[in-house]
Amino acid sequence: MGKGWCLFFLFWPIAAVVSCAMAPFVGWSFPYNNAQAASNLGIRIDDLFYIILIVTAIVFVGTQAVLVYALWRGANNREERATNIHGNHKLELIWSIIPGAILLFLAIYQMNIWADFRIKKYYPEAAVKDPLAEVTARQFEWRFRYPAIGKKLQQKPQPDDLYSVNELHVPFGKPVMIQLRSDDVQHSFFLPALRIKQDALPGLQIPVWFEANKPGTYDLVCAELCGWGHYKMKAHVIVQPEDEYQAYLKNLTQKQFYDGLGKIAAKDTGTESEAVEK
Amino acid sequence: MRFGFRRLILLSLIPLISFTGCEQPQVKFVFSQKTNELIPEAAKPVKEALVRQFGNPFELTQFEGLPTDFGDVQGTVKSVESSGKDQPLIRFQATGLENAYDKLLGLPLEWTSGKGQGHISRIKEYDFETGTIAVEKSPEIDPQSGDTFLIECVRLQFGRDLYNRHCMHCHGMSGEGTGPTSRYLNPPPRDFRLGIYKYTSTKPTSKAQEADLARTVKEGIAGTYMPSFKLLTDDEVSAIVNYVIWLSIRGETEKKLVDELYLDYSETAMAERTSEEGGETREEVLEELKEYMELDFPDTLEFATSSVAEAWEEANLEDAIVIPQKPRVADTPESRERGRKLYLSQKTKCASCHGPQARGNGTATQDFWTNPATNEKYSERGLHDIWGNLLPPRDLHRGIYRGGRRPIDTYRRLYSGIKGTPMPAFGGSLTDEELWDMVNYVMSLPYDGNR
Repeated sequence: MGKGWCLFFLFWPIAAVVSCAMAPFVGWSFPYNNAQAASNLGIRIDDLFYIILIVTAIVFVGTQAVLVYALWRGANNREERATNIHGNHKLELIWSIIPGAILLFLAIYQMNIWADFRIKKYYPEAAVKDPLAEVTARQFEWRFRYPAIGKKLQQKPQPDDLYSVNELHVPFGKPVMIQLRSDDVQHSFFLPALRIKQDALPGLQIPVWFEANKPGTYDLVCAELCGWGHYKMKAHVIVQPEDEYQAYLKNLTQKQFYDGLGKIAAKDTGTESEAVEK
Repeated sequence: MRFGFRRLILLSLIPLISFTGCEQPQVKFVFSQKTNELIPEAAKPVKEALVRQFGNPFELTQFEGLPTDFGDVQGTVKSVESSGKDQPLIRFQATGLENAYDKLLGLPLEWTSGKGQGHISRIKEYDFETGTIAVEKSPEIDPQSGDTFLIECVRLQFGRDLYNRHCMHCHGMSGEGTGPTSRYLNPPPRDFRLGIYKYTSTKPTSKAQEADLARTVKEGIAGTYMPSFKLLTDDEVSAIVNYVIWLSIRGETEKKLVDELYLDYSETAMAERTSEEGGETREEVLEELKEYMELDFPDTLEFATSSVAEAWEEANLEDAIVIPQKPRVADTPESRERGRKLYLSQKTKCASCHGPQARGNGTATQDFWTNPATNEKYSERGLHDIWGNLLPPRDLHRGIYRGGRRPIDTYRRLYSGIKGTPMPAFGGSLTDEELWDMVNYVMSLPYDGNR
């Protein structure tokens, strides 16, 4: 094997490390200009990601360095012959125990985060007691059902429930829980900015909680290839202060119980038909 | 040779196969089945007139008097940037394009004054911020400051582009409802060419308001495959609605023209007329057709387009909209009971379609009905819509409201009926109180515990 190959194998680890290091500066890293996660749990998940990134980076650079060194030595040495060995017990132990220990550390270290995210017992109590909305995924949109103002979300639809589509409003600074359902096929409720992702399965109602920590409009996308129109299944999650959220619900109530004579200003509803009706 | 030719050939086939394997939808406006059933001599002028009046998907044609916004913009050259000899483009700054947004790229630009008057350039670059346009260089044109130009159909073409991206794969290139995905959908996507839309806020005989169509685009239709396009901006939605109405007008114009001709000049009519009982020769019929085409066809065309345009214009007037005279009757058990009695009464006959329990299984679903268009019985039992699809009456317990779940939406469904379906309009026969009682009853059904 020639020196050209040594350089070839040297080039790739360097390219990988350089592009990883560059990623945050050229927008290849986390979504939304590499912003910090918009949820507290998301920040913890990011930390987990960085720990794994550092561990794998060290292992990757180390093994690549050894590989290149071995190649380089072999390429420069025409006299020494390779010896045939049948393994090295000590070496086998080392490279089994160290990765095992690392994996065990990661498994134990992330348990709290996993439990907080996925095990209902550890969900924030307030969020579990009073779910925000029922989210129903269907080809190819997201439909939301909120309880009436001052009431709690019921399993079955109620006459005064509030409905909307493709626009989920959420108050910020407090944990909220949604009940996730699917009408047809398997979808996935994905909030990249909040690092929340949960599959929606027909016939199941899956609780998902999150706590947005800064106001803004975030994408809600379907992360499951649910059909030909999958790419269209894009909605917004609008994180806003509690009072704005309440105002939104009030407006939604007004709009939903509109009898053609009520007073809904066109600008509040954002639809033109009321403007014509007025 | 380590890397054989055979493998090279196989490899080079891969891109070729992947290109040819993709089925592309046809990029042209199709004509209705009825048009194609005309004898060629009658079909030809109809098709020609449609192409003349409406163009093709690449080049939409404008003609006066339609209620749709073509969005012509008239621009004036402000200053011309000096360009080198070998530059392939001429760049200039223009004024008057404030309403054109950034939709001008690729459109033809017609010079209306200056040296290039009458010539057409293609817009290669357009910067909305600075108002800079770049067009191909050609010996015929030499823009000077003060020269004017016209860009046609900006708004319509913007709508077309959005429609083709978001709507075409179900509703089809010409709004005929047979896009590539349509065969997998039930209910099938709407054929826009009858100009009939189900969920409107207008009176029974009126067309849909632009706002109704915009609401359908934004909110989707629950219980069908029509999804919500809420993330489009208001401007984009209105451009799509503008284009959809334009497609409807095209389809309706075609229908009006063909209806005039169909009875006498379809292939079947021709066969009948030239049969032994008909006693005419083909030449005689063609002579008669020729006379019609020369004398009456231009007027028919004029009337067809203007009457369709007028109907769409009227739908957007304020008095086309259904507004209850009285506010909603309080949603009490008594009101619901009055509504239930009305529902079961002979006056409304709701139960005959929707069933006594409102499960959508009335006796009407077991009958063979006659198609009003052909006067023949449908081959399947049950009610049909005007597009010929089997249409089961809604199960009112399901809480799915296709036309919207506001009380006013249900009121309007009762007042105006559902256009294009057997659902009748009760606007004239029931009072406002009665209508609201019915609304209260119908809207209580999903929650009556009897699920």
